[in-house]
Amino acid sequence: MALLDRSEWYDIARETNWTPSFVAESELFPDEMSDPYDVPVEAWETFDEPYKISYRQYVNIQREKDAAAYSVKAALSRQRFYESADVGYLNLIKMHYAAIALSEYAACHSDARMTRFGRAPGMRNMATFGMLDEMRHGQIQLWFPHELVGNDRQFDWAHEAHHSKNWAILAARHSLDDVMMSRDANTTAMMLNFAFEVGLTNIQMIGLANDAANMGDYTFQNLITSIQSDEARHAQIGVPVIEIMIENGKKAEAQYAVDVAFWRIWRIFAIAVGVPMDYYIPLEKRERSFKEYMHEFVITQYERQLRDVGLDRPWYWDLFLDDIENHHHCQQGGIWSWRETVWWHPVGAVSPPEREWLEEKYPGWNETYGYYWDVIIDQLVKDREEMTHQNCMPICCNVCQFPISNRPGPVWKARVHQTDHEGRRYNFCTPVCKWVFESDVERYAGNETIVDRMYNGTIQPQTLDAVLKYMGIGVISEGGRDGHDYRWADPYRPVADAAE
Amino acid sequence: MSEPTDEVPAPEADDFDPTAPMPPLKTWSHLAKQRRRPSEYEVVSTNLLWSTDGDMPWALNPEIPLNKWYLKYRNGSPLRHDDWDGFRDPDQLVYRTYNILQDGQETYVDGLLDEFSEKQHDKGLDEAWIAALARLYTPARYLIHSVQMASAYLVQIVPASTIENCAMLQSADQMRWVSRIAYRTKELSYSWPDARFVAGERAAWEQERAWLGFRELMEKVLCAYDWGEHFVALQLVAKPAIDEAFLRQLGIAAQRNGDTLLGLLLAAQMADSDRSRRWTRALVDYAAQTDGNRALMAEWIAKWEPLGDQAIEAYCAELPDNPEAAREARRAAGEFRASCGFDA
Repeated sequence: MALLDRSEWYDIARETNWTPSFVAESELFPDEMSDPYDVPVEAWETFDEPYKISYRQYVNIQREKDAAAYSVKAALSRQRFYESADVGYLNLIKMHYAAIALSEYAACHSDARMTRFGRAPGMRNMATFGMLDEMRHGQIQLWFPHELVGNDRQFDWAHEAHHSKNWAILAARHSLDDVMMSRDANTTAMMLNFAFEVGLTNIQMIGLANDAANMGDYTFQNLITSIQSDEARHAQIGVPVIEIMIENGKKAEAQYAVDVAFWRIWRIFAIAVGVPMDYYIPLEKRERSFKEYMHEFVITQYERQLRDVGLDRPWYWDLFLDDIENHHHCQQGGIWSWRETVWWHPVGAVSPPEREWLEEKYPGWNETYGYYWDVIIDQLVKDREEMTHQNCMPICCNVCQFPISNRPGPVWKARVHQTDHEGRRYNFCTPVCKWVFESDVERYAGNETIVDRMYNGTIQPQTLDAVLKYMGIGVISEGGRDGHDYRWADPYRPVADAAE
Repeated sequence: MSEPTDEVPAPEADDFDPTAPMPPLKTWSHLAKQRRRPSEYEVVSTNLLWSTDGDMPWALNPEIPLNKWYLKYRNGSPLRHDDWDGFRDPDQLVYRTYNILQDGQETYVDGLLDEFSEKQHDKGLDEAWIAALARLYTPARYLIHSVQMASAYLVQIVPASTIENCAMLQSADQMRWVSRIAYRTKELSYSWPDARFVAGERAAWEQERAWLGFRELMEKVLCAYDWGEHFVALQLVAKPAIDEAFLRQLGIAAQRNGDTLLGLLLAAQMADSDRSRRWTRALVDYAAQTDGNRALMAEWIAKWEPLGDQAIEAYCAELPDNPEAAREARRAAGEFRASCGFDA
């Protein structure tokens, strides 16, 4: 072959900055869309993406990846698998597609912002591939669940979730809009590509692929692995941006962007990954606890990545470590208790052997989270199932939007953190969400959680049924019921009988 | 299990049971009303934006800059339609078919480059033509990159995912040609080390008379932030001007100067532009379903066409061995607009 090697011409393709003379630079690159940090353009021009690929290579590699993922054989095996899969695992899949498909597609916007408004030509080219990647991830993760709407209507949420006002989606959208949809190109790169993708997504994919493999769902495992290989490439956009920021005296600004985004996405990630990992995956298939996984794949790696790029640990690191022990356990309790508000069938998953496992992985679980479940179990063994549903509204955080909760039982650590702004009181789950709010009040003020909407009359009539319909329950699909028809509580019955 | 249904039943108010299983569907609920089997394109491409669902694009304070930006330039655009989500790409491309298509096209281009390199094509070109390439061809990576950027603006500002996807693939197509032009720039520099390939393109783009019109046009298009106006300025004026002056008329000059390779490369690039024209025409037709939109688009064309024509004139005036270039390019750009229902 007499073709040139990519390295011979690659740099020329990323020398595309010019000095405009018919419009002002500030008009071509408005601060709010481009770079509010006033880093000189010469500095941005030093942007060097660590992972290089040409368009020619891209379309070839991606074609081959899709050929494998879309094969008819894989579709048939998926169909067979889902028809006999455990409901806990199906929950994971239903949560995943609903949370992820349209979010990935939304990230096309984020990459488009960098392609248009990024000051670094290399960034603009990488983000062009990033747009395409996100289009792929949106489309393939719509195609797969679409095969399943004929089996189970709850899969319709893969398309509808982000158009709904379901409480879980209001939470996800608030975070995603904050982190990847409504920022300038450079902040988006730091928040989305670094904090979100390098910090959490990449690793989430590894966890998900492991779960799928353990369950024998090899086509989902392959899909996730294939998506992860794209993420690993375009996630790299964030690193040079942060390095250039630091070199130009903007470390504090970079640290702030990364810390806000990491926390915001973490609060969702813990639910989307932590709850399935510690509760939905059948006990015999669990490889490691969410906490072990966080320590092994996230904490060590993220700390190193922060150090490598020149940033520090977030100020809230200890609070984050504490949240790993609590947030997803709280939300598992909440989701199960408000199970009709979600589009999957939450499983209790606290039978005696499961509790033993939880206690081993999270010492103290039985005395605290177990205390919450003991009350529920007590009602179930007395055949008072109706008493295990929550009919009141929790207080939700005005940043992450999740019910404000913390470790129950005798220690009772739940606290609401508050701030007043322009005559209104805002509630927060943790000092970190409060910090996020207070660090940029004008951005976050005015927020209405699902509960605020209930009390301020946005949702009418103010009945539970109306709230459920507002959230898409009974409209998009039926809501959740206990996924195992309370069989997990059976072993408690003889014990309770004996006590009586 | 009951049979799949097309209906999306609303729950009855009185006996509402939120957990009563609802019948499964044959497709997404939002496509079920079509009452026919949806294509893969429809399943994975339609109604994907959440920021167009309510009044406020992003779930943050209405006063943040990005809410104001989207309210002004997207939601507030005078180009209106009740259902932008109803737009369909006539090519119905999805990500995976785009890669199949373009992998094939790139294999063809690799074949061309390989073959002409084997034949030592570049060494056989004459010196005057080499000088023309350094002035009129290799600096085009700046022009095509500006279209890559402008297309990416459409990606983030259009009101429907089906439009967004067309713009996204168009942006990627531009990067394809930025890469190929960069490739040729380097390759030409090996045979003609003194011709200022690699070193001279930025200055040419910023200063050469030939490029001033295109640079003015694209700098201004990039700053046309209303989505409707951006669409018209880019798709109905700027791209047709580039297609006709740079791809077509430079291609003709290339053939007359024995540069068969460039002629074939520009023709291959034109295939991408033809696809762009198909969805552009389809979107014009779709927008024109709403009264007043055709007149509005015609006004925007009237505003931008002089800049497009000026760009064509400036560029074509410099093309060697092609005295008809400007007239032909202007005519053909106008012809495309006429095919979209806009008479000169």
